Amino acid sequence: MTDISEKPESQLWAREGFREDPYITAETLEEAGDAPAVILPLAVWLGLDETVRNATNRRIGVSVAPGESIDPLLPLLGSIPVIALQFPAFNDGRSYSKAEVLKDRHQFQGELRAVGDVLIDQVAYMLRTGFDTLKVTHAVTLTRLADHNLHDTPVYYQPGRGSHTKAGNYSWRRVPDTQ
Amino acid sequence: MYRYDEFDHAFVSARVEQFKDQVERRLAGELTEEQFRPLRLMNGVYLQLHAYMLRVAIPYGTLSARQMRKLAHIARTYDRGYGHFTTRQNLQYNWPALKDMPKVLDELAEVEMHALQTSGNCIRNVTADHFAGAAADEIADPRPYAEILRQWSSMHPEFSYLPRKFKIAVTGAERDRAAIQVHDIGLHLKKNEAGEIGFAVYVGGGQGRTPMVAKKIRDFLPVEDLLTYTTAIMRVYNLNGRRDNKYKARIKILVHETGTEELTRQVEIEWLALKNSDLKLPQTDVDAIDSYFRPPHLPQRPEGWSALASARKADHAFAAWVDQNVTPHKNPDYGVVTISLKPIGGIPGDATDAQMDLVADIAEQFSQDEIRVSHEQNLILPHVAIADLRIVYDLLLTDGLATANAGLITDIISCPGLDYCALATARSIPVAQRISERFADPARQADIGELKLKISGCINACGHHHVGHIGILGVEKKGEELYQISLGGSGDEICTIGDITGRGFSSEEIVDAIETIVDRYLEVRTDKEETFLAAYRRLGAAPFKDALYSEAANAA
Repeated sequence: MTDISEKPESQLWAREGFREDPYITAETLEEAGDAPAVILPLAVWLGLDETVRNATNRRIGVSVAPGESIDPLLPLLGSIPVIALQFPAFNDGRSYSKAEVLKDRHQFQGELRAVGDVLIDQVAYMLRTGFDTLKVTHAVTLTRLADHNLHDTPVYYQPGRGSHTKAGNYSWRRVPDTQ
Repeated sequence: MYRYDEFDHAFVSARVEQFKDQVERRLAGELTEEQFRPLRLMNGVYLQLHAYMLRVAIPYGTLSARQMRKLAHIARTYDRGYGHFTTRQNLQYNWPALKDMPKVLDELAEVEMHALQTSGNCIRNVTADHFAGAAADEIADPRPYAEILRQWSSMHPEFSYLPRKFKIAVTGAERDRAAIQVHDIGLHLKKNEAGEIGFAVYVGGGQGRTPMVAKKIRDFLPVEDLLTYTTAIMRVYNLNGRRDNKYKARIKILVHETGTEELTRQVEIEWLALKNSDLKLPQTDVDAIDSYFRPPHLPQRPEGWSALASARKADHAFAAWVDQNVTPHKNPDYGVVTISLKPIGGIPGDATDAQMDLVADIAEQFSQDEIRVSHEQNLILPHVAIADLRIVYDLLLTDGLATANAGLITDIISCPGLDYCALATARSIPVAQRISERFADPARQADIGELKLKISGCINACGHHHVGHIGILGVEKKGEELYQISLGGSGDEICTIGDITGRGFSSEEIVDAIETIVDRYLEVRTDKEETFLAAYRRLGAAPFKDALYSEAANAA
């Protein structure tokens, strides 16, 4: 999908608009230096000492690839500030199901972030399955988000985040909260 | 029939507006073909060998006369005057111009139709028994449940980027006319001992290069659990289905590699967490959808029986058509009419704009305004009074629609093959045409009896050759088209995958080879009551292989 000569900086976006990203991404804690907020790969994060993970002077989030299971994280959700679910390609949909499980079933309270091949056509789906923030690189997507043009439908046929039931409609139907 | 409410209209028109914008950007050169591809596919627009192809969704194959007239109008105005009904109960237009696509989608939206989810790795058009709501052997009408599934699966945020496409079929009769056991999920509506309605749930059936019969993972699922249980299956598949190899990405491979027992366990665990969620179906919602599918009021027409008897006596061709193309209806004064789209030597599933208009007129006047598309690529008039059969037949006869071959050897399923399809490795339509011509004699066809012949032009098996009593698969070998034959497949309630006979046959040989098989069947059957499939199941492949290969060797 990308057809851009100059690769723009990636930006962090939420429903309210673009925001500063306090996190850096690192392969190890050492590599992160003294950064106050860092996202580490799942295996590295799980290998951290519990006292390091829960240290109050820095925030340590975890990044999960589509092929990795979120099960080891489930008992620890209360201590995770951010989970970044990866979309190595827009058509790898595994992270949508993980988002549902984390937010809907386990009421993960931290930030759920989509990273990778985040394109405008998927933004609405990501928000509805529970993502709070999207790390966006794709130029057209950045422009459309800046214009608040989410490529969304005015009604939904499924329950999901950011929507509510409307009296007189079938139980599976929803309308966006913005309406 | 289901009718759109305000909600559905808002949804579809928003999608059409979005696609208009995308097409304009493509035509203006702002989008490359590569960038446009995923967007057009979401709207049912494929790029074929010669042109763009538009695949229109016909939910569970049900159409009104008004919708059929619109399909005819689109064929006339934007295509070359015909459309192609598919094995997925959909309609394909082979020649529309890209610039016209938004207009076509606008026209479709006017009659509550669209082309969404007719491609891509999402939940595709939900299919159902084409005799739904009419067949004498029906336990419950599958269409309300197919409609609920259709709505719930439309632009599903979690399940729009699955490992591969996903097909759900629903049947409401013991006689499975929807081939549910070769679908990703097959639902069989049934009653339990308490008389309540529920579903037997099958998972992991499919054709393609690795054909598999689905496994039953639930004997009785209450209706209220339809969406929660389907969600559980979809989630297990979305998370665990293979994504490393597109040919191993369907749920059938996951079921096979995981094992039915373990997969069932995973689904049940997922479902326990979902069963009391927002997707638990309230009976009021089921009833509300069900009310759209209430049986039409059919006046008593007992006079039809004596009229039929004398009409049959007077016209042998009419009698043959009634015997072959009319199926018992719930109401004894009525019949279910199959309109064959398989004229001798014709292209299976094709209909001209005039034929579509004619069918619409007949449906309006004689079939409660209802038409169905069958996965066997025929059209169905579900509610025709026995008293009206003669006039309906005469009307169908005016435009070549009264071929009396439903279920016979010339009622061939065929994919478009190399004449249209970019994936095909061999032609299938010309083979279908030649077989049809070889067996054209109605008396001979009737003597052969029920025989489902299905042809695919490549290993993807869109022509369902794996479940043909006789299946033909066209492949390419050293620059030549070669046709493999399989025998004994069946897509009904006793579902089997056909066995390959042996080496394939050239385009010149294939029709003779089919005739050899049929002749051998006629020699070995116990009597006329024993169908080809029954004879094959009794005798196995040996007599047929013997006929095919030793005779060929003798002749050489």
